[in-house]
Parts: sequence; C-alpha cells; structure tokens
Amino acid sequence: MKLALKELRRRPGRFATATVILTLIAILLMFLGGLLDGLIASSTGAIRAQNADAIVYSDTAQASFVRSRIDPELRAQVEAVEGVTEVGGIGNVQLGARVPGNGPRDLASVALFGYELAPDGVPDAPPYGQAWADDSIKADGVEEGMIIEVGPARTPIAIIGFVADTNFNGQSSLWASPDTWRDTLSANRPDAQLGPDVFQALIVRGDGANLPDAIDAATGGATDSYSVDGAVAAIPGVTEQQGTFNQIIGVTVAIALVVIGLFFALLTVERTSLYGVLKALGAKSSTIFAGLVAQAVVVTAIAAFVAGTLVILLDLLLPPGSIPLLITPSRIILSVVLLLVAAVLGCSFSLRRVLRIDPASAIGTTS
Amino acid sequence: MFLAFKEMARAKVRFALLIAAIALLVFLILFQQSLQNGLITGFIGAIREQNAPVLVYSVDGQRVLQGSVITPDMEADILAAPGTGETGPIGQGTFTGLPSGNADGETFDTTLIGYELGPDGDGIGAPTTVVEGRLPTADDEGVVSDADVALGYDIDDTVTLLPGGKEITIVGVAENAQLNVSPTLFVSYDTYLSAVKSVNPDAGTPLPNVLGVIPADGFTPDEAVASINEQSLELDALTKQDAATETPGVAQVQQSFNIIFLLYGLVVPCVTGLFFLIVTFQKANSLTLLRAIGAPAGRLVSSLLIQVVVIIGVGLLIGTLLYYPVSQQALGGIALQFETAAVIFWSVLLLSLGVLSSLVAARRVLKIDPIEATTGQGVGS
Repeated sequence: MKLALKELRRRPGRFATATVILTLIAILLMFLGGLLDGLIASSTGAIRAQNADAIVYSDTAQASFVRSRIDPELRAQVEAVEGVTEVGGIGNVQLGARVPGNGPRDLASVALFGYELAPDGVPDAPPYGQAWADDSIKADGVEEGMIIEVGPARTPIAIIGFVADTNFNGQSSLWASPDTWRDTLSANRPDAQLGPDVFQALIVRGDGANLPDAIDAATGGATDSYSVDGAVAAIPGVTEQQGTFNQIIGVTVAIALVVIGLFFALLTVERTSLYGVLKALGAKSSTIFAGLVAQAVVVTAIAAFVAGTLVILLDLLLPPGSIPLLITPSRIILSVVLLLVAAVLGCSFSLRRVLRIDPASAIGTTS
Repeated sequence: MFLAFKEMARAKVRFALLIAAIALLVFLILFQQSLQNGLITGFIGAIREQNAPVLVYSVDGQRVLQGSVITPDMEADILAAPGTGETGPIGQGTFTGLPSGNADGETFDTTLIGYELGPDGDGIGAPTTVVEGRLPTADDEGVVSDADVALGYDIDDTVTLLPGGKEITIVGVAENAQLNVSPTLFVSYDTYLSAVKSVNPDAGTPLPNVLGVIPADGFTPDEAVASINEQSLELDALTKQDAATETPGVAQVQQSFNIIFLLYGLVVPCVTGLFFLIVTFQKANSLTLLRAIGAPAGRLVSSLLIQVVVIIGVGLLIGTLLYYPVSQQALGGIALQFETAAVIFWSVLLLSLGVLSSLVAARRVLKIDPIEATTGQGVGS
C-alpha cells in the first residue's frame, strides 16, 4: 500500500487524466443531484413545513390544492375522527406580485397561503392584509415592511417578516390569514373562489396510528388523505422527477465504474512485470490489489474534492432564479460515497489479473 | 489496418470495456436529449400547435396560460390596437379526468383548453396538428393530444371531469399538443366554462386567460405584438413561438440540460483519449521495433485512428440501439421520440472529438525514433 501511495506522489502525471475524467463525472453526479434537490425543494417546501399527521384533500383533487374543496360539513366529519386533536384549514392561490421599485412588467411569482395551523418555522397567522414571506422572494427586491400588490386586482399585502424553505411549485410563498387568502382568491381568481368557511385542504394533528386511512374511512371516501411525506410525493411531477434523475445518476455511476475499471485494468497490464518482481520478492496478491484500491480511492477522493469545490462555486455564481440548483452537504457526501464504491468495484476488475501474475515471470521475461 | 484489427481481436476485454463506456455515454446523451425535447413538448406543445399567431396575456399571468386573466378593460385595449385583426378568448384549466378508455379506472390531471369553435371547429386557438378524427364542432367534444391516447383518451372515448361528472367525448387526436405534461383536451369555450362550474359550485364566471389574435391586414405577428403592447402596460402580447419558449421553466430546463450535455460531451473524448494514450504507452517497445524494421509512422498513426473510429463507431451504434427502444416509451407522462437529428449531431460531434483526443497518442507515435530500438527506449520513456 505504501508503494502505491508513493507512486501516486512521485508520478502524479500518470493519474492526471483519470483524475480529470473522474472530476467531470463527479461534477455531473453532484450537478444532477443538486438539480433534483433544487427542483424538489422549490416545489415542496410548503408541504414539508407542515407540522401535521395528515393532510386532507377532497377525494378527486389528486392532491392538488386548487382542485380540492373541503366544506364545513366534511370538516366536521374529519374533526370527529377518533384520535384527531387539531384541525386547521389551508388554501393557496398562485399569482404575480408587483413589487415597489420594480418595473411595471417585472412581477414576482408568489403562492399565497391562508392557514389556521402554523407550519414549522412560520409564526401564527398575521392580521388581515399582512403576510410572512419566504426569504427567496428577497431576490425579487422584496423587503420587510414593503407592501406588494398581488394579482390583477392588485390586492395589497404587507410583508411583516421572512421564513425559510417554504416555497411551493417553484414560487415564493406568502403566509397569511384565511380571510386574506379567501378575499385575494375571490378578487383575483373568480373562477376558483370558495364559499365562506370552505377550504382547499385540512391540516390534521392527532395521535391515531394511521390517521390518513382513518380519516378517509370515516368520511366514506369523500377525502383523500396523506401523511406529510405522502403529500410531498403526491405533488404532480415529484415522483417522476425523482425516478428519472435517479436513473440518470445510476447510469452515470455505472460509467464512473467502467472508467475506473478501464483505467486500473490498463495500469495493471502495464505493470504486470513489476508486479511479477514484487511477487517474486514475497509480496502477496492481496497487498498488490490493496495498493490498486488505495490508488483508486485517492484518485477518486481528489476528483470528488475538486468537483465538490467547483459545484459549490457554480452554485454561488448562478444568479437567483436561473437554474434551480441546491447543493447540500448530504448530496455531496452521497455522490462521493457512490463514486468511492464505483472506484472499489471498478478496481476489482483488475483483481483477476493480479492473481494470475506468476512470480516466475520476473525471471527472464520482463514484459 | 491489419495491425489495428489484429490488436483489437487479441485484447477483446480492454476494447470491449471502452466500447461499453462510450455506448453508455451515448445512450445517456441521446436519452436525455429525448427527455429534454419530450419535456418541453409536453410542457408547451399546445401553445406551439394552436393556430393563433399572437397570444395576449395579462402581465400578471407571467406568461403562464392559467395564471393570466384578461379583464374587459384589457380586452378593449387589445381591440383598440391597430395591429389587432380578429380575436378569440382562450381559457385553460386543470381538472381531474376519468377517461373511459382506461381499463384500470385511473384518473389523471387533465388540461382543458377552451376556444370559440367557429363553424368548422377551427376558430382562434384551435389545434393545427389533427392527425386523426376531426376538430370539435359542438360543445362537449374535444381533441386530445397524441401522447394521451395510451392512457385511455382515444377517439370515441369519453372523459368524465370529477367532481361534477361533466362528460366530454373525444373526436380527434392532435400531434404534440400537450400542456403542462398532462392529458390535454381542446374543447369549445362554453365547454370550458361549464367544466369550471361543474367542479366548483362556488366559482364565478371565469374571464379568458388569454386572447388569441390574428394580426390585422398589413401587420406581421411581430408588428401586431408591438402594437398591442404599446396600448397598455397591463398587456403582454407574444407571438406563439415566443409564448412557447418564454413560458416559465422552459429556459431553465434547456439551460440545465445544456450543462449536462456539455459535461457528457467532455467525458467521451477524455475517456477515448486516455485509453489510447495508455495503450500507446503500453505498446511503446513494439511500436519502436516496428519503426526500426521499416514501418512508416503514418501507417502506425492510421492504425491508431482506425481503432479510434471503429471503437467510437461501435459505441455509437450500441448506444443508439440501446436508445431506440427507450425512445419509443413514455416516461411519467412525457412522450419520448427517436431524435434522428440528435443521433446524427452527437455521432459526428463525438467521433470528431474522439479522433481529436486521440491525436495526443498519435503525436507520441510520430515522436518515436527508430534508433531507440537499439537502446531499449520507446515512446513510453
């Protein structure tokens, strides 16, 4: 192993090309993963933030707020379910917002939520006409204390503070009282307006073992209830995005495996005679193979480090609102682990060659 | 040439590994090209494939069909613009649809695009790519996008909108006419209005989401756009091509994929270049000997280049063969298509980059001095 690491130190040029290729592959992996995380985070923040044991939509809503309608009678049935301790209505409307100081055609995209039970990280509902805003809206020039005008009816909403990671469908969320939301909805989207006390969905807290199923059973199938994770997965496109990106990431890891396998197989072929000498001097096959693995791991670790740095830089340089890239430590760590596994597996292609080396080849035949 | 093929036949595993790596990369690039095009077509195909040359959104809509609302005042401004010829309201909503052709009784997010039919169903906003059946000519009839037929939205099937139970009969199929990557139906404007009312009894009468405009005589679509936008800061008129490409999300999808393509495009020549450089190093002694016994450098280089072309060619072929069956599938509602232009583009590009990258190895071969055969040194030294 020491010999292998010494070779890496003394002849780094020999490993430079493989390192460059692996760096490119590592950037690809991290970029793809970051893109997936960014897309999911910007679509699902408002749901993930819910402190709920069940999120209840109407039965045909397909987990879509705008297509869901829970009237007071249905809500009463949900409240009566055994184990339910708290029920709060929630609804949203997605609109353009005019920001003071911005051009007349330069609007911010917002998803205005009206809520009764506060999500994690969001204070209780503010007075009428005010809202907490997701901090991503700062990129549109919105500041605390500012009054923005929402929708074609230019409904004024005063921003009283900021919350984090609550975006919905890629739009900055605003968190307001149910009355603010209901009036804004009616004024700007008459086709989607709802009657008094009607909400789009319910946030339910309780202690039942399987609250979503119990609620749907109690309402005779008039509701479609999810856990928070289930509601996130049910947002249209989320599962498809995850599936597609994970397949692409999987094939990219397979390519990394083939590249590493190819490189170290060639390196082993090139050094067959040297390994023969080492074996003749008493080195075990396992020692030689461990050296190869150590080299693969070091090369991969260097590539992953460079790639991680470049991807973080890219993330910092990208202007807000361009590419939905979210680089997290967990994504980088996962990418590095996948690459290291690919490195070790790729190296194992060379194991057979190392085992087949005959120490006798050191005598007389050196190539 | 003899040498090139002989060597490849003797070292099958090593060359097979390289071919496998290239084939996988080619497959991934082509698959993602299809995914990108399918995603964009599924996202805004209905805008591209309708017949209004100009679409007028409200600025508040931010170029999202469903987000835009045209008030009566805005409509008056549009009609007053010199560039405006004929106009027609277009409405769009997303509903839960139960197609009768789906054996599993599955429901789907279903987009309805309502337009005023006119006498033959080809009013402003009608789909332009009907490939089967006919345009709707009465209320409660619809034309569906071809990508949705497999889900049970075929001609003569009915789609029930839930809740409310409103039924729409499918009378035609249009090519590449999806919106929001969901089953999409072009229906009469009145059908759209009654669909909104049927699913939400509290709903008021919806205003048009956008106004389709045919430019006045003597105006091009671009001139009509400029004329309408001059009327009011509330209006956002766009040609249909611009409306499609400037729909929020389209540019981001393209940017993201372009970065991915760039990275994959770099990996292929790097892998090829590395492989042949190492192989050249390994063959150093043999190549020196060949030069010493009279083999011209040009022959050795051409042997190398033949190997590069064959390896990349076979990789491209296998990658394309892997891609073909996948390109015939639908992925989560996105209809993929075999992109012949992409296959040709990437084949030429990757072959050129691969040959270019192998020039480093070719340079090493050209540097071989036959005299080194007598000293035991070669290109590897």
